[in-house]
Amino acid sequence: MDFRKLFTRKTKSNNIATQRLQLILKQDRFEVGEDSMKKLQYELTEVLSKYFEFTMNSVNMSLKQEGNSYVLIADFPFSESKNL
Amino acid sequence: MGKVIVITSGKGGVGKTTSTANLGTALAMIGKTVVLVDADIGLRNLDVVMGLESRVVFTSMDVIEKNCDLDKALVKDRRVEQLVLLAASQRNRKDDIKPEQMQDICERLKEIYDFVFVDSPAGIEQGFHNAAAGAEEAIIITTPDVSAIRDADRIIGLLQNQNIEPINLIINRLSPALVKKGNMISKNDVLDILNIDLLGVIPEDTGVIASTNRGIPLVHNDGSPGAEAYMRIARRMTGQRIPIPEMRDDNFFSKLLTWFSRNQ
Repeated sequence: MDFRKLFTRKTKSNNIATQRLQLILKQDRFEVGEDSMKKLQYELTEVLSKYFEFTMNSVNMSLKQEGNSYVLIADFPFSESKNL
Repeated sequence: MGKVIVITSGKGGVGKTTSTANLGTALAMIGKTVVLVDADIGLRNLDVVMGLESRVVFTSMDVIEKNCDLDKALVKDRRVEQLVLLAASQRNRKDDIKPEQMQDICERLKEIYDFVFVDSPAGIEQGFHNAAAGAEEAIIITTPDVSAIRDADRIIGLLQNQNIEPINLIINRLSPALVKKGNMISKNDVLDILNIDLLGVIPEDTGVIASTNRGIPLVHNDGSPGAEAYMRIARRMTGQRIPIPEMRDDNFFSKLLTWFSRNQ
């Protein structure tokens, strides 16, 4: 007999369902916003090009899921900084 | 001038057709004029749930193709005055109808009826878009489970993009006993996740099966929990202030019961 089972309460299935849903919906709702991602990339590039020289097509942006949250990963390889 | 309300869910089998039949019947029973439009072309079912299948002669397709006048295609309910059905064609496909044609039918119907309910097919394809085309408001039906809520969220997003407002929610088949045990997503959790206004909660009611077998909507079954919940929603839709009853009870005895069931 497993005594730990007697004393640790199992997480209720409704709590698991709610947590899973929150994660699923975060992902679903984000996928709908694909256009905003392109716009963000364009606008970020515009701002950064005031300070750095780089070619537009070398820019790489993506979202990664890490546990319960999302991380925005952006690569902006630049050749030189501008002298301001 | 009435209003056009699309009843939709994304996921199939959550009770769109049952809810359309019952809400429509309930509103007609309290004196409103109601037309139910089946938008599930090729897989029609509203006529069966209403028990009107033998009376259907013409469909919305016949109206569009001008085989008959609109009022000739409307089937009168057997029990309730001022309640009619516009059936869907069973021989056609979802993309045989254009959104503008559906919109036109809805426009004409709302000039005559207080409530035009459009029963949407499941899915997010053409059939759903046709059903939503003529609607100014929406009722989302969901059951308290992960799949249905996920699909409801997707549908809400699509309806908001079409500027359909308000979008209200009906939670169907909620079992208070399972919620109490922690084995069903609660009303409040569904509302937190979907973040739209609640129109009502329909408790799990096995009487629905017999009522569908007979082709008599549940609301005729006085005193059944499902019937009462639909009647309350109908009254709410006519502007009466009917509170949504809480389905939990937290007296000492039920807490004791919960404690025991948890520790079994």
